[in-house]
Amino acid sequence: MSAIGKKLARILVGTFASVAVAAPGFAQTIPATVDKPVTITFYNYNLASAGIGADGTKKLIAEFMAANPMIKVDGVGVPSTEMNSRILADVAAGRGPDLAQVVFDGLDFVANNMGASALEDIVPADELAEHFNGMSKNGLELGVLDGKTYALAYTFSTPVLFYNADLFRKAGLDPDSPPKNWAEIKETALTIQDKTDAKGFSTGVVGAAASGFDWLLQSVLLSNGGRVMSEDRKTLTFAEPAAAGAVKMLRELHDAGVLENSSSGSNLESMNAGGTAMFLNTSAYQRALIAGAEGKYELRAAPMPGFGDTLATPTNSGSGLVILSHDPLKQRAAWEFMKFLTSKRGYTIITSEIGYLPLRTDIVNDPAYLKDWVAEHPLIQPNLAQLERLQPWTPFPGSNYRQILKTMMDAMEQAVFGGGDVDATLKAAQDQAQALMPNNT
Amino acid sequence: MTTETLSLPMSTSGLQSRKKRRQANLAIAGHALMIVMSLFAVFPVYWMLVSSLRAENHIFDTALWPDAASLDNYAYALSAIPIWRMLWNTLVVSAAVTFIQLLTGIAAAYGFARWRFRFDKFVYALIGLTWLVPIQVVMIPNYLLVARMGLLDSLPALILPHFASAFAIMLLTQSMRAFPKEVLEAARMDGAGSWRTLWEVIVPNLRGIIASLAILIFISTWNEYFWPLLLSRSAENTVIQIGIQMFITQEGTSWGPLMAASSLASLPILLIYVVLQRQVIQSFMKSGIR
Repeated sequence: MSAIGKKLARILVGTFASVAVAAPGFAQTIPATVDKPVTITFYNYNLASAGIGADGTKKLIAEFMAANPMIKVDGVGVPSTEMNSRILADVAAGRGPDLAQVVFDGLDFVANNMGASALEDIVPADELAEHFNGMSKNGLELGVLDGKTYALAYTFSTPVLFYNADLFRKAGLDPDSPPKNWAEIKETALTIQDKTDAKGFSTGVVGAAASGFDWLLQSVLLSNGGRVMSEDRKTLTFAEPAAAGAVKMLRELHDAGVLENSSSGSNLESMNAGGTAMFLNTSAYQRALIAGAEGKYELRAAPMPGFGDTLATPTNSGSGLVILSHDPLKQRAAWEFMKFLTSKRGYTIITSEIGYLPLRTDIVNDPAYLKDWVAEHPLIQPNLAQLERLQPWTPFPGSNYRQILKTMMDAMEQAVFGGGDVDATLKAAQDQAQALMPNNT
Repeated sequence: MTTETLSLPMSTSGLQSRKKRRQANLAIAGHALMIVMSLFAVFPVYWMLVSSLRAENHIFDTALWPDAASLDNYAYALSAIPIWRMLWNTLVVSAAVTFIQLLTGIAAAYGFARWRFRFDKFVYALIGLTWLVPIQVVMIPNYLLVARMGLLDSLPALILPHFASAFAIMLLTQSMRAFPKEVLEAARMDGAGSWRTLWEVIVPNLRGIIASLAILIFISTWNEYFWPLLLSRSAENTVIQIGIQMFITQEGTSWGPLMAASSLASLPILLIYVVLQRQVIQSFMKSGIR
């Protein structure tokens, strides 16, 4: 989220938290069908951009409306960094959206402060079970909070290690054997930096390149057995030994000259320009990287590195679909639209035309859906393979979730790039942030 | 003696010549420095134009001119977002805000400069204080008001909260207070009322500062981003700054089209600078650096 967006969100939270519906979703079953014309408002961040995201989304909306003439979907583009602020402002203004594409880190806040409806509370159990059949269990878990499904994973991706095979060859390395763990990342990066003029490695785990988001950091901590907070989401744990151990590894990379505190934009630009050998970031960048590498170097992708012989535990970036309407007819219309967006056809468009992962993994082998496309786009394979190990990007709870996130991310940056004691830095931040958790306030 | 008389003028002439040479050298060095600084200032604009002509896989090349310059990015940008509509919207909003702020500013400033009334200093101070309030603080109440008026996603909503500007009122008040009292007295003796004095005596004589203020208001409204971002719901009803931002996506930034859209967006402002160069510089000097 941008600095202005964060500031606005804080103001909004303070001003309107009490106005915004704080009650849980209504336990009210929706009608079985939509038998009269209804219009639903859909806040979507892909529509706020120009290009494949918007084109793919418009196509999804158009196909759905053609098949469901009673339902009109009014797609409104809202930048992802402003999504929660805008929903809050519009809920306060009495004109909140019926369905929204919410970034996962704000899911708890949207679920508990904006009156989002849990699917189990409004959709008949058998219908829900029928729709969930065939979906990735790990993928479904991404939108579950306190045992209820508040979001269905919509556009989501995992961390992928993109690498420049030409630079590997130039440094005398085998591009068919990319690094599998962080020790190999360090060794490979140092070799490349020694033998070529290129930067060995960059990522958005921590520092400026993280842009305030912790999904990639959570992947690294989980891969080393750590967590940002306890499973009951009451106690922060990002300074505990396993998490701190992962951060110390990042500090070692920095001390060895492998990891710099560079911006997200410059990392992507350097990778695109052929100036960086390895780039660990969201698979959503795949299309931009392919376009940048075209005619210049061979771009390849590998799974996220783990620790030692243990495979990585990736989390997801991206968004889920959340129903915010309390009108039963609009809830039904929104659910019908959600079902289409997360159907085999929906994920086929999302994967092939926007560039995200399918939550229905069986369609990648189905010639009616993605089989041919996957054959032509091998870079998606590491991404698909990681789905089996996917863990949710856990959102911090309560209305202070952004302050908690910022406190943690600032401490992480300080611990990795600041030169101080890692344990002490993380412990101080953890104590400070714990006071902002809901059970402490 | 002769030698002395001859040598003295030569010596003076030599000194003068050396002085002239030194002055010339200093002037050349000064100009060279200014040329370098000008190039430094112009380079980002040049780089924006050059980048808008590069192909996607050469967008980060460092060559001063692309091998194969193309207008593809412009074609794509024009097809991806309604740029002309957005430019028109931006022009309408900027022109309307400029006109309205000048009108309210002149009227309010005339009141403060011409008459003493109860609590006038207090009211003036309150207006000054509003200048110090960050836009984020008033944005949400304004948003709720606009939403309740049913004006979301419309150009009037972009204009409405900018009807009055503390900066314009204060700048014009100071200028009107400095206006020669004798001229006002002469107008009064000629039978001119307050209204006529304002529009036929004061405003024509303050056209320099009013023009400067108009340029500043126009440019700052043209560059406004956050309020339109909060208010707009469709590409057709928004301004060009939001359009430019649309090329920054979750899937990476489309630099080529973004630079093409930025080049088109900066054209009107560039035109103002070229045509009204002297007034623009004066406006910044009169108002302080903004």
